[in-house]
Amino acid sequence: MEDVISPEGRDLGRAVCIITGASKGYGRTLALQMSRLLKPRSVLMLVARTADQLNQLKEDVITLYGHNKLDVRCVQADLEKKEGVEKTVQAVKETSVSEMDHLLLINNAASLGDVSRFALTFTDPSEVNRYLSLNVSSALSLTSGVLQAFPRGLGLRRTVVNISSLCALKPFPSWVLYCTGKAARDMMFRVLAEEEPDVRVLSYAPGPLDTDMQLQARRFSGDAQLRRSFSSMFSEGQLLSCNESGAKLIKLLLDDEYPSGAHLDFYEL
Amino acid sequence: MSAVSGFGKTLVIITGASKGFGRALALSIAPRLAAGSALILAARSDDKLQELKADLSRVESGLTVRCVAADLVCQAGVDKVITEIRDIHSDIDHLLLFNNAASLGDVSRYCRDFTDVDEVNSYLSLNVSSALCLTARVLSTFPQRSGLTRIIVNVSSLCALRPFPSWVLYCSGKAARDMMFRVLAEEEPDLRVLNYAPGPLDTDMQLQARSSSADDALRNSFSAMHAQGQLLTCDQSISKLMKVLLEDKYPSGAHLDFYDL
Repeated sequence: MEDVISPEGRDLGRAVCIITGASKGYGRTLALQMSRLLKPRSVLMLVARTADQLNQLKEDVITLYGHNKLDVRCVQADLEKKEGVEKTVQAVKETSVSEMDHLLLINNAASLGDVSRFALTFTDPSEVNRYLSLNVSSALSLTSGVLQAFPRGLGLRRTVVNISSLCALKPFPSWVLYCTGKAARDMMFRVLAEEEPDVRVLSYAPGPLDTDMQLQARRFSGDAQLRRSFSSMFSEGQLLSCNESGAKLIKLLLDDEYPSGAHLDFYEL
Repeated sequence: MSAVSGFGKTLVIITGASKGFGRALALSIAPRLAAGSALILAARSDDKLQELKADLSRVESGLTVRCVAADLVCQAGVDKVITEIRDIHSDIDHLLLFNNAASLGDVSRYCRDFTDVDEVNSYLSLNVSSALCLTARVLSTFPQRSGLTRIIVNVSSLCALRPFPSWVLYCSGKAARDMMFRVLAEEEPDLRVLNYAPGPLDTDMQLQARSSSADDALRNSFSAMHAQGQLLTCDQSISKLMKVLLEDKYPSGAHLDFYDL
């Protein structure tokens, strides 16, 4: 059931599809799942810090779908830094828009922050600034750069996804940076949706995924109760596979019925 | 509680104290502080802080007032505030921190125009990071102890809850702050944490809103509020805030709006 994404033969169009944080975890899964649904001659742009993992992913996509179907481009960039954001935007600008009918940006790159500590210990502005730079600012500047590269009026469908979290809505002890960043992002993308009625904007909370980030959560969370709760989700097999959650996101995108700017959670669907 | 409906022996810290809501807070709270209290006023402008101090001394001769001219985005600025509060008598019974300093950001532009990460970082540095770091430092300087009530107020906004076109930085920053203080409230059950949305105040920030907002409908709506006398005075809003703080019944971490009260 997990792999049946589009039984009706729907697809994501001939797209410029950009996925950040593509080298592992959820981003990697989305790259593989979306590749299946991108029409030939689409551009799949994979952004992450580690070139090796990106290249491996590119090979895996080509192995699955062949050399001629997709133009897979790897962009090695650290989105915490201005240069990383600019490099990514530049790579997008170099993509030809002719024949494309869809621009699809998946803002997935993120970090947990130091969850072993509590709010009272965050006394160093540069630590907090660096965190917000990756998790909030880069998402805004990348999205704006991409929307400027493919402006309204080109006849292109434009979709922007924010990989969100329950943490955008609920506070979790020892998770001040992550909750703060996710709350900021959700609002950011709600404002975008208000301003750009022709852009389809979705904040998707994928549920508790079985990834490296989840491992970090159950190993390091400073709050004992939270740490125990993550551990038992893991040991009781309650974590979601990236495939399962990816399939739900893709169905949302294919159905294309969500209110722009909405926050939708895996468990609500 | 004293007859003048106030706080006991209190250390009050107000950021963005040089004008607008922060300034009005200082003038409003001073008469409510018992003898032996101290009021720390932080802002970038030393001149304006000194004027405020002079105004305060005319009405409250017994109150210790200290001005800290500092930019709270840097460690050094926060250090200056901490230095001032460190030698305050430790027998205070209330600590009250008003995280009020904020900026609107460039409301003449839309999301699609914020392509410069440095600009966004600079905004978040003042409006989000500095509030977290200052709060953490202040609470570390006055840790939990019996007989001490510690109150943290975040000056919030309707913008923390609702998106407004051409206001991405302000809305995102306010949403971030509300969550930040909600996490703090979860983690520290002895703290009293309040996200207070003061309503549309007649201040310089409001002037900026009605003259610069790119979104026509929003700009017109602000102008109409101004023209029709619907803006609140800072004192009107503060009076409600004081009542909420003194009644002390709000759930820690709650978002309360002037218009809810």
